[in-house]
Amino acid sequence: MLQAAAFYVLSAVAILSAFMVVSARNPVRSVLFLILAFFSAAGLFVLLGAEFLAMILVIVYVGAVAVLFLFVVMMLDIDFAALRQGFLSYLPLGGLVALIMAIELAMIGSLWVSAETAQFALRSPTPEGVSNIEALGAILYDDYVLFFQLAGLVLLVAMVGAIVLTLRHRQGTKRQDVGRQVRRTREESVEVVDIKSGEGIG
Amino acid sequence: MLEIDLGHYLAVAAILFTLGVFGIFVNRKNVIILLMSIELLLLAVNINFVAFSAHLGDLSGQVFAMFILTVAAAEAAVGLAILVVFFRNRGDISVDHVNMMKG
Amino acid sequence: MDALLLEYLPILIFFGIAAAMGVGFILAAFVLAPSDPDPEKVSTYECGFNAFDDARMKFDVRFYLVAILFIIFDLEVAFLFPWLFPVFEGNLFAFWSMICFLGVLTIGFLYEWRKGALDWE
Repeated sequence: MLQAAAFYVLSAVAILSAFMVVSARNPVRSVLFLILAFFSAAGLFVLLGAEFLAMILVIVYVGAVAVLFLFVVMMLDIDFAALRQGFLSYLPLGGLVALIMAIELAMIGSLWVSAETAQFALRSPTPEGVSNIEALGAILYDDYVLFFQLAGLVLLVAMVGAIVLTLRHRQGTKRQDVGRQVRRTREESVEVVDIKSGEGIG
Repeated sequence: MLEIDLGHYLAVAAILFTLGVFGIFVNRKNVIILLMSIELLLLAVNINFVAFSAHLGDLSGQVFAMFILTVAAAEAAVGLAILVVFFRNRGDISVDHVNMMKG
Repeated sequence: MDALLLEYLPILIFFGIAAAMGVGFILAAFVLAPSDPDPEKVSTYECGFNAFDDARMKFDVRFYLVAILFIIFDLEVAFLFPWLFPVFEGNLFAFWSMICFLGVLTIGFLYEWRKGALDWE
């Protein structure tokens, strides 16, 4: 009973805010609704027993990715009214594609049956009596080590890619180089000149 | 109605996925909302994975959902970086002009 | 299942208090604040001039780079949490697998350090 109520509230909020993401006039509001959608989805994950994923969704998506989107929306100085121009002209096509897709998904959903042998083909059955995060920790680092290392490489590539794309050093600004400051010696920075009186260094 | 099973979660995921596709088609001018729609699609896929993981009692669905989250965050980072560079070179972010990025 | 949900009751109460406080302050401002609108009083005003432009300000791109690096390391830390369990059970393979993962990301960290992505010129 409690579960059903929580499910309906969370999924209604998720769907409504997802609709507002695609239809909001102001991108800042879109980002805020995206945060709400992710938050409700985290609630659905808790209902499904995937508590660790729910936590990651809140930390990584609500805490980091949505903030990144917000930065970019604030960073770009754009005439947002002009971006809305095509909305109504694309509405019929988008609606048609979405409708066809919804019908197809409904057909798959209603005709789908689980294979009888599915329960024998489980890759890593959920252990009884341990918490979700402990069960994940037991398989994530050795059973799935290849995917884990690949995730690390994906993150590395994303980091390097973002730096290569966006980092521009401005010309003519003075930068601090701590190493050079420390290595500086008296010989290279101070020069003693013997000046004869009345002549100057010239 | 009060018994929540796999079908309910799949329905929510299907609606979210459809909304994401709708957003991609409708917001042709605004790349930021397009990227947000892609995030919605990935979220719908994640809900599917986790729902099946709970239904079948198999943790690999949740592990896979974790990797999807990782890839989605990396995708958002690089996509937004491309968007920033595009805006700097071009002055707007309309998808109509993205074809000048080729080559 | 309901017992599991009841464990999350404190979070729900927390949200309830937060929402009640937010709504309460806004309502209190409506009810208590003196309100006597006048076209001159509510028009935008900036030191004797009309407002020059939008209040929206452009951020510098360097904020974006910091946010990116935050995302990457946020995910790295998220992967560290379940690692506790195999490590305290003495699973050496899991230990070295995580060290390898951290090593890969350290390469990225050194790269951005050398490139000066962390400097604020």
